[in-house]
Amino acid sequence: MSEGPSRRLDPKARTLWRVHGTLFSPPVLAAGGGGSWALLERAQIPPWLAFSPGVAAAALALVLVTVLPPARWHRWRYEVRGEEVDLERGVLWRRRTLVPLSRVQHVDTKSGPLQRRFGLATVEIYTAAGSEEIPQLAVSVADELRENISALAQTHDVL
Amino acid sequence: MSSENARRLHPVAVLFEAVQITRHWLGVLLGGGVAALASNGLPVHVVVAAGVALLISGSAVWGVLYWRTTSYWIAEGSFVLHRGVLSRKQRTIPLERIQSVDVVQGVLQRLFGVVEVRVETAGGGSRSPEAVLPALNREAAEALRRELEGPGTAGEGRRPPDKTLRRLSTGDLLLAGATSGQIGIALSLIGATWQAADNFLPQDLTLRLAERFAPHSAVGWASLALAAGLLAWLLSIGGTVLAYAGFTLSREGGMLHIRRGLLERNEAALPVSRIQAVRIVEGVLRQPLGLATLRVESAGYGKDAGVSTTLFPLLPRSRAHELLLAVVPEFAADPVLHRPPARARRRYAIRSALPAAALAAALILLFTTLADAGPPGLLPVLVVPPALLYGLLRHRDTGWAISGDRLVLRTRRLSRTTTIIPLRCLQSRSVVQNPLQRRARLAGFQVSIASGRGRVHTTITDLDAASAHTLLVRTGSPA
Repeated sequence: MSEGPSRRLDPKARTLWRVHGTLFSPPVLAAGGGGSWALLERAQIPPWLAFSPGVAAAALALVLVTVLPPARWHRWRYEVRGEEVDLERGVLWRRRTLVPLSRVQHVDTKSGPLQRRFGLATVEIYTAAGSEEIPQLAVSVADELRENISALAQTHDVL
Repeated sequence: MSSENARRLHPVAVLFEAVQITRHWLGVLLGGGVAALASNGLPVHVVVAAGVALLISGSAVWGVLYWRTTSYWIAEGSFVLHRGVLSRKQRTIPLERIQSVDVVQGVLQRLFGVVEVRVETAGGGSRSPEAVLPALNREAAEALRRELEGPGTAGEGRRPPDKTLRRLSTGDLLLAGATSGQIGIALSLIGATWQAADNFLPQDLTLRLAERFAPHSAVGWASLALAAGLLAWLLSIGGTVLAYAGFTLSREGGMLHIRRGLLERNEAALPVSRIQAVRIVEGVLRQPLGLATLRVESAGYGKDAGVSTTLFPLLPRSRAHELLLAVVPEFAADPVLHRPPARARRRYAIRSALPAAALAAALILLFTTLADAGPPGLLPVLVVPPALLYGLLRHRDTGWAISGDRLVLRTRRLSRTTTIIPLRCLQSRSVVQNPLQRRARLAGFQVSIASGRGRVHTTITDLDAASAHTLLVRTGSPA
């Protein structure tokens, strides 16, 4: 069995994902808090049970902001080598994908408003059956990777 | 903007277009007529006659204009379609972009001995063909098809006639209908008809009918259900006969030709180079009889997934390999398959039994809370054993092999499906693993291929993790 890919995403990805987690937390907390409040209104339900949705929501929000971003960054690896693009990611559900360069149709880089603030970009690799993404690379790295993959894809297409 | 070799449609296109435009405007005309009647007291027959005269003459004039302004030609390696009465449109399709050229003959076209030609490209996910020529005579259609399909062979003159490779016998046609498993669709059709009758008939008529004829015993209900099922079954046989009567499959060079249909004759031409995978599907009703259907996944060819992707509607499973060898040897493979390890059996069983058990538990809980529903007993538990059996069957039927430059995957999702994919058609491969699988050293293997339906995944789950990784590496492109 060959070894997995070796290159990591930009370290700033962790901070960006923390921001994502923070932005996503209020609705989670609101749902949990609302659930607890609705249960407390009913007298016959013991308080510990009534508080559990709120506590669960708080725990989830904490995981989204503190645990998940570094874990995701830690698990994300990519590499372009030989004739394939090699991707490996996922904290709980792990996934390793190989895309042959000869199947690549075109490559995009894109960058959302938040990503631009961090100087990050996403590389999107298109094949005839959809696309694969490498998120949160430094803009210069992403541009270089895009040029690199599309040049390699062309040479492999000729063969 | 026209070209020297511009060609027109068959003149009967005037009639087709007129009929279509009449149908289109009929509703508007009815509305206008009613308004006219309501506003001033003109006699009814005058309004109706005037309306009809206006519609017919207008449609006829439009039809002629349509025919005069529609032309097509081939120039500089492209197919050009020029049309439009009011605003002129010209569409240019490069020949190498053309995915398929279908020749269809509807009932109306049959009446006049003409055919409809549909040109499709690989582009986009649009459901309708890029160019439709509603009326051509047979020779013109054949000539056009030859020009569109074989840019390289245009100079070679007449090609040899198709070699018919396989035909569907009448017995097999009926058997295909009987085992098609489309009873569900037919049942819903019957339901919809009943609903429509309910809306159209006087309000209480259906209710009175229902009351009068509703069975009053379990036996009565059972026989009613049986009758509905039988009707649905006959309908599904009828549907299959309509779609697949006279099915022939032939190959000429790099082209597959599929002809089928009773009322509407359908001729599809499919370039073999566009085929991404072949599937041997053994339906629930067909597998016990040793029967199977052959399907193809083809890039950018997806207007009617159910029918147009059928390579052959029914044949004995044991002869599938032989047929593939004869028709599309590029996709023939019949290796011995590797199987998931025995320790994966538990996961397969749990995976399908757990949802069933949860469902049973929820039902029992529901019944006990609604106390007046009587003692529920443990009846819902009966759903668990079949689910368990299904999981074990899935484990037994999952398999894979690499045979030369082809990957063979076998899965069961109700039907047992064997998929044969050339390695060069694999767009990406993945190994997926969830926490439970990681503990058990198991993993899933997933491939994606291009298809008219967009991205298509085929997944085999719970392989030995090491063999999944080996498979991932070994399914790389052939050197």
